[in-house]
Parts: sequence; C-alpha cells; structure tokens
Amino acid sequence: MKKHLTAKTKWLIVIAVLLAGLMTITAAVNRGRPGENLIQTMLTPFRSATSALVRQVEQYYDYVFRYESLQAENEALKAQIIAMEEDVRSADSLQRENERLHQLLGLSEEHEGYHKVSAYIISWVDSNWKSAFTIGKGTNSGIHEGLVAITEYGQVVGLVTEAGTNWATVTTVLDSALGISATVASTGYNGVVEGALATGSEGLLRMNYLPTDSVLRNNDQVLTTGSTVYPRGLILGYITDADFDETGVAKYAMLKPAAELDDLEQVFIITEYENQ
Amino acid sequence: MLKYFHLTKLQWLGILKWSLYGLLTLLVLLVQTVVLSKLPVCGAKLTPLPAFIVCVCIREGPEKGGVYAILAALLWCLSGADFGNLSVAIIPIGAMLSAVLCRAELTLRLLPAALCCMAVTLLDASAIFAFKLILPPTVAVENYWRVLLPGVLLSMLFVPIHYALVKLISRIGVRDAL
Repeated sequence: MKKHLTAKTKWLIVIAVLLAGLMTITAAVNRGRPGENLIQTMLTPFRSATSALVRQVEQYYDYVFRYESLQAENEALKAQIIAMEEDVRSADSLQRENERLHQLLGLSEEHEGYHKVSAYIISWVDSNWKSAFTIGKGTNSGIHEGLVAITEYGQVVGLVTEAGTNWATVTTVLDSALGISATVASTGYNGVVEGALATGSEGLLRMNYLPTDSVLRNNDQVLTTGSTVYPRGLILGYITDADFDETGVAKYAMLKPAAELDDLEQVFIITEYENQ
Repeated sequence: MLKYFHLTKLQWLGILKWSLYGLLTLLVLLVQTVVLSKLPVCGAKLTPLPAFIVCVCIREGPEKGGVYAILAALLWCLSGADFGNLSVAIIPIGAMLSAVLCRAELTLRLLPAALCCMAVTLLDASAIFAFKLILPPTVAVENYWRVLLPGVLLSMLFVPIHYALVKLISRIGVRDAL
C-alpha cells in the first residue's frame, strides 16, 4: 500500500485540500469562486447546444408518444376558455363600474410596465438540495443579480442570484433560500412565501406568518405584494392546504407554484418595472 | 527551433488519450447538468461525474489520475456545483486513495472500481448533506435515506459504461510503450 502512496500522490492530496480551502475563502470574500465566470462563459455554448438538442428530442417524443394526451388537454383547455370568456364578460361590467368609481374618487391609475429579456434555460443545478438553473444570457444582455424571472403568463419563476457575461443563475421559488412577500388575492391576507424544498415538500411553496383568524380556501391565488425586487401582482401559486404553524400563533398555507417548473424551457427576466 | 516541438508517436498518443478523457468529462458534465438534473429519478438527481473521475483515476494511477481528478473536480465546482468547494478536495482525494487501494490490495476490475466509485460519491454527497444540515436553509434528516442514498445508488448504474469507456481509452499507447 505504502509503495503506491508516493510522495507525488501525497503532494497532490495537499494541493487538493489547499485548492478547496482557497475556493471556500474566495467564495466567502468575493461572493463568487475565482475563474467561475470564465468556466461558465466557456461552458455556455456547449450547454446551449445540448439543451437545444434535448428540446428537439422532447418535442419529437411528445409528438410521437403524447399526442393523445395533448389532444385531451387541448379539449379541456377549450372548455376552460369558454368558462373564462363568461368570467371576462362579467368582469368587463365590473371594470366599467370600477373605472367610474375611480373617477368619482379621483384615484390615480396603477400601472406597471415591464421591460423583459427572454432567455432559454441551458442547465439545472445538479444538487438535490437546491433548485436553480442557468440561462444562456447574462450581463451583456442587461441581466444582473436581483432581477425577477417570470413565465410568459406573469408567474414568478425565481430570482437571478448570480450573473456572468453570457450566463446567469436563477434560484427558483422552490428553493428555501428565497422569501417573497405575498398576499392572498381574494382576501388580502399578507405573508411570506418560501420554497419548501428543504423541509421535504418538494415542488411546493409555503406561505408563512398568516393571521391566526385567516380563512383560507383551496385554489385561492397568491400574488406578490410588491417590493423593490418583486413587482406587484405577479402570480406565485395556488393554496392547496393550510394549518397552524409550529408556534400555534400563526397560520401557514401550502401552495402549488403557478409556474410549471418541470416543463420550463424559457423564462423572461424583468430588467425594469415602473410603479406609478 | 522546430525540433523542440517534435513529438514522438507515444507523446501524440498520450495527447489523444487525455483529450478523449477531457471530452468524455465534458460530455458527462453536460449530461449531468442539462439532462439528468431536469429528470429526477425517484425524487433524486443523478450525479455520474464523481464516479467517472474515480474510474479514470483508478485506470491511470494515483499520480496522473490524481492531476486529472483535481482538474475535473475543479471544472465541476466552477461550473456552478452546489457546495463544489468540498468536492474539489473530497473527489480527488477519494479517487487517488481508490487508485492506490485498487493497485495495492484489490484488482483493476469493474467490481472493485464500482465499489470505490460508490464510496467516493457517497462520501462527497454525505459531506455536502452534513453541511446542509447545519447551514440555513437546513434540510430535513430523513432526506438522507429518502433522496441522497437512492440518488447515489442510481448514479452507480452509469459505472459499467464509464469503466468500459475508460478501460478502452486507457489502452491507447500501451502497445507502443511496450
């Protein structure tokens, strides 16, 4: 055994330990590892090409094997559209009434204009304890840390937590590291939405600090309340369950995220938004 | 001047061998981060890269293989791996010790290599999990046997393919060297 454990091997072991230490220290000091931007920038074309190939294969697979289920889904969606058109008609009359009341009270119109940059997801973090992905656009497209990623339907996907030249890392809402101030659309109860990944409830969100007397219904929509980071009114998810939290002085609700993260291919990064 | 750039056939074969290892490492990394990380199996994301690194190190020996293992682990870490700093130490050290162990006590065959791959992958994943238990946002303990262990075991399904490919590549230049 000793014969094979040469001096060179021992030196390599020391180098590996020193490198790990160096990485940890620089990551803690600079909030990024040395050379990470270079490696990620070099990997981006390869990742983009591979993910484009995977998308093509998935599309072909869906066409061949999921045609019937897609057809059934299409029928269900058509029925849903008819029901929603009905809702829109009644909402129109309510909107007209709302506008009249606004004019009577002299309230200013709230308007939010988003400037978005679209980007494809090129890879996902391979850890079981973190929910994040890399997109194929970065600082050269105006993307930087702290921007919100949404779907084309205005559903919150996550937050840009790292950005390089032609890549950026988006930590999704499922990750327990994010905390988003949110409100239940129908009742106005406020709380903080966090990912439930770390607690073992993968694929769900948890809305904490809800009032003890709050009445929560299944499928109630939860929206962002608006902050310096998250614009107001973005859809976070729908309530699936509610109970008292561990302390017993507040309630929490479990939410199904509005964005279907498993099937996500493209996201939109809000680079600017106005709250007037 | 040009004679300094002259390479022997053996050196060319060496370049070819390590280029193939490099390409395969990139391929495994891409498969891991683009394909497998999107498709969890039994709720766990599979990570075949540590096992691949161990296979190369076992076949090439602790010295050359050790240098490769450090570079490959560094590549994985800098490609955005969660807690990759730990892997920079654990994977190369584990791979070098596996190579030493296989040469001294075991044989250069699939089964010992697979056991070493599993030990290193499990050690790396367990070390990261231990940190995740302490540092917020903390993970639940039951995730160890519910997610981590199935993930490590399922990642081992790639070892026969890894080992066969690495064995094939490691033979490049062997006949010329003799």
